[in-house]
Amino acid sequence: MNKHALISIGIYLLKKVLRIASLLFAICLISFLLIKSSPIDPIQAYVGADMIKVGPEQREKIAEYWGVDKPVIEQFWSWGTAILAGDLGTSMIYRRPVSEIIGERFLHSLSLMITAWVFSGIIGFVMGVIAAMKRNTWIDRLIKGYCYILASTPTFWMGLLLLIIFAVSLGWFPIGLGVPVGVLADDVTLWDRVRHLILPAATLSIVGVGNVALHTRQKLMDVLDSEYVLFARARGEQGFVLFWRHGLRNIAIPAITLQFAAFSELFGGAILAEQVFSYPGLGQATVEAGLRGDVPLLLGLVILSALFVFIGNLIADLIYHLLDPRMREGRTL
Amino acid sequence: MMFLSLFVVLGEIYLKKKVFSFGLACLVCCLILVACSTSKNVSEKAEDSVTMKREELILAVGAEPETGFDPTTGWGRYGSPLFQSTLFKRDDELAIVNDLASGYDVSEDGKVWIVKIRDDVKFSDGVPLTAADVQFTFETALTNGSVVDFNVVKKVEATDEYTVKFTLKEAQSTFINALVATGIVPKHAYGDDYAGNPIGSGPFQLIQWDKGQQLIVEANPEYYDPIPFFKKVTFIFLNEDAAFAAAQAGQVDVAYIPASFSQLNVLNMRLEAVKTVDNRGIAFPFVKSGEVSSTGLPVGNDVTADRAIRKAINLAIDREALVDGVLNGHGTPAYTSVDGLPWWNPESVHADADLDGAQKILAEAGWKDNDHDGTLEKEGLKAEFSLYYPADDLTRQSLAITVADMMKPLGINIIIEGESWDTIEKKMYSNAVLMGWGSHDPLEMYNVYSSEEAGVDYYNTGFYKNETVDTYFEKALNATNEKEANEYWKKAQWDGSTGLSAKGDAPWAWLVNIDHLYLVNDRLDIGNQRIHPHGHGWPVTDNLVDWKWNK
Repeated sequence: MNKHALISIGIYLLKKVLRIASLLFAICLISFLLIKSSPIDPIQAYVGADMIKVGPEQREKIAEYWGVDKPVIEQFWSWGTAILAGDLGTSMIYRRPVSEIIGERFLHSLSLMITAWVFSGIIGFVMGVIAAMKRNTWIDRLIKGYCYILASTPTFWMGLLLLIIFAVSLGWFPIGLGVPVGVLADDVTLWDRVRHLILPAATLSIVGVGNVALHTRQKLMDVLDSEYVLFARARGEQGFVLFWRHGLRNIAIPAITLQFAAFSELFGGAILAEQVFSYPGLGQATVEAGLRGDVPLLLGLVILSALFVFIGNLIADLIYHLLDPRMREGRTL
Repeated sequence: MMFLSLFVVLGEIYLKKKVFSFGLACLVCCLILVACSTSKNVSEKAEDSVTMKREELILAVGAEPETGFDPTTGWGRYGSPLFQSTLFKRDDELAIVNDLASGYDVSEDGKVWIVKIRDDVKFSDGVPLTAADVQFTFETALTNGSVVDFNVVKKVEATDEYTVKFTLKEAQSTFINALVATGIVPKHAYGDDYAGNPIGSGPFQLIQWDKGQQLIVEANPEYYDPIPFFKKVTFIFLNEDAAFAAAQAGQVDVAYIPASFSQLNVLNMRLEAVKTVDNRGIAFPFVKSGEVSSTGLPVGNDVTADRAIRKAINLAIDREALVDGVLNGHGTPAYTSVDGLPWWNPESVHADADLDGAQKILAEAGWKDNDHDGTLEKEGLKAEFSLYYPADDLTRQSLAITVADMMKPLGINIIIEGESWDTIEKKMYSNAVLMGWGSHDPLEMYNVYSSEEAGVDYYNTGFYKNETVDTYFEKALNATNEKEANEYWKKAQWDGSTGLSAKGDAPWAWLVNIDHLYLVNDRLDIGNQRIHPHGHGWPVTDNLVDWKWNK
C-alpha cells in the first residue's frame, strides 16, 4: 500500500515536470517568434532618440555585438542552449545579466504581489460570505454594487486616484518609488519600505476583491440552497455555526482555485500598478523590454511569469488534496 | 493564457500612455480644491528647508540611464556626465572651451588632432588622469557596440603623459563634439561593473544607485574646478506625469513636465521654459517620383518636387499661430534645424503667414484651380500629397492637422496619416514626414541635407541635393577650427543666392522649436540655461555646478 502510494506520487510529479517542461518550451518558442516577427526593429529601439548621432556603420556594429544580424532560428538556438546551461543572457537595454535584473526586481514585485494577494483574498472571501449569508439585505446590495463597480475599474485608474488623493493632496504617502528619496540604503527602515508599498498594494487589493467576493457569494448561495443546509436549518442551526459546519469547506475549494488562478492577473495588475507608482518591480522592466525589443530580458520575464503561474496552480492542486478527502482517495484509486 | 495577458498588458500600457496623461490632468483639475486646502503646510515645509540653508537638491528630470554611468556606452552625452569630465565643454553661449584639455591643434589636412591635457587632474580615487586614460576611453568606446559612434576614428595614441593624438579616417571638424560629449574613464579602475560604480574626475561622485528608482551623488572633493554649491543631489527616475505629481506634493526641487501641464500652477514652484533646438518640421521629397532607394523603397513625389509648392507652404505657414495653438505658447518659430546655435545663419529667417505671397508663387509656377474643387492643378497633376506623422505623438499630430488646415485656402490638399515609425520608414522617401531633430553637433545638418546621406536611414529622406550646398559642407568638415567651419555651415543655409533654408531650395518646412518645461523651486537659481538639444530632461543638468539658492 505504502509502496503503491509512493509510486503514484512519483508518477504525479513526473507528469507535472513533463508538463512544465513542454509548457516552457512552447512558451519560449512562441514568444521568441512573436517578438522577432513584431515590427519593432531592435537596433532602432536600442538607439532610440540617439538616431541623430548613430550612423549606419555603428548600427551594423551594434547588430553584430548583440547577435541580432543572424537568422532567427540560429538566434533561438544559441539563446536556448545558453538557457539550458543556466545563462539567461544579457539584457540589451541594461547591459547587465538578465538573471541579475530579474533577481533584484522580483523581490520588490513579490512583496507587492503577495501583500495584495493575501489582502484581496481574505477581504474578498469575507465580503462574499457576508453578502451570501445576508442575501438581499442592504449589505448584500452594497457589497454587490461595490464589486460590480470594481470589476469595471482599470487598475491604473484606481492607482492614479489613490496617488492623487493620498500622496499628492494629503501627503500621507510617498508619490512613488520603493525607498525614500535621498536616503542611503543603510538608513532605510522596514517602515519606510512598508510605507512605499501601501498605495500600490492597496490599489491591487481594492481592484482584486471584486472577483473573489462575487464568486464566493454565488457559491455560498448555492450551498445555502442545498438540501443538506435545509436539513441543518431544520435542526435549528443558523448564522455563523451553520456557515462554519456546512458552508466553509464547501466553498473553500472554488475560492482557492480562483485565488491561485488569479496569480496571472496579479502579475498583469502589478505591472500596471508599478507603472503608476514608479515602483521598481518587474513591471517596469517588462514594459521597457517589450517596447524596446530587448529579447533576452523579455523572454526571461516570460519564463519567470510562466513558472510563477504554474507554481500557483500547483499549490492549488496540492491544497485540494489536503482540504478535500475525496480528492485524496480519487488519486490512490 | 498568462503569456497572452502579458502582451495584452503591454499593449494596454502602450495605448494608455496618452490616456494616462489625460486622466491625470483631469483628476488634477478635480482635486485642485483639495490641494489648496492642504498646500499650506507644504509651503511651510519648503520655507523651513531653505532657512536651514540645505545644500541638498532633489531632481526629477529624466528617465534612468539604464545602461548605467559608463560614457563609453553612451552616458552623459545629454546633460552633465556628473562623475566624469570631458576634454572640452561648451559654455553658456555654446562656444567650445577647455575642460580637461589645455589646448588642441588640428593638422592642415584636418585628419590629425593633437590634444594637450591638464597635468593637475585626479580621479575621485586620487589617481592622476593621464593621456593613457583618454586613449583607453576612446578605444573602449570603439569596440563596445553601443550608441557611441566613433567610426571616424582610425587611431588614438598617447604620445606622452599629457598629449593625445587622434588620427581620423577623413577630415571632420565636428569631431570636436565627440570630445565634448565623452567623459574620460580611468584605465586602472575600469571593469565590468564600471557602469554601476563609476569613478571619474567630474564634479560629483556616486554614492548610491537604487536601480529603477534614484541616484544619489555627492560633490567630489578632488574636483579641479570650484566645488559645486550643492553637496548632495538626488535624482529620482519618474516619468513626466509622476514628476508633476511629485512637484505638486512638494517633494522635488526641479521636475520636468509635459506641455499639457504648463497651465497648472504649483505652489512655491515656477515654470521655466527653456529654449531649444528640439524642432519639428516637414521633410519634403525633393525629387520626382520613379526612382527606387538602395533598400527597394519608392523615392520621390511629383507634387513636392516642385519648388513652388515647397516655397508656398513655407511662406503660408503661420508659425506663431502654431506656437500659440499647439504648444500653448511654449515654443519658438523654427526656420532651420539649427536655430540660435553658433552655426545658424540668421538670414534664413523669412516672413511667413503670407497667403497672398504664397498664392502668387503658385500662380507664377502654373498652378491653377481649373475644375473649381478647391485644389490646384498643373498639367493634370493635383496639388495633393500625404503627410505622415508618428501616431503616438500628440504634438506632431496637432502640428500636422493645423498645417494641413492652413494650406487648405491655398489650394494645397495635405492628407495627414498617423502611422508607426515602422510604416513611416517605408513611406518616408516618397511622402512628406513630420520629423524632429535638434543637436549641439553641426554634423546633424550635414546628415540631414547632404546628398551623400540621401536615403541613409532617417537622414535626408527627401533625397535633397544641391551641389553648392555639398561644397560648403565639404569645406566645413575640412575646416581646422570651429569658427571657420561655422562660416561654411552658415553659407550652406543661405549664401545670398542659394542654400538649404526656405529662402533657397526649401527642402523642408520647419515649423517650431519646442520649449522644454521644468517646474523649479522658487528659490532655486538654475543658472543660464543653454539652448537645449532634442530630448527633454537631462540637458537641464548641463550647468548643475552653477546652481545655487537665490539670495
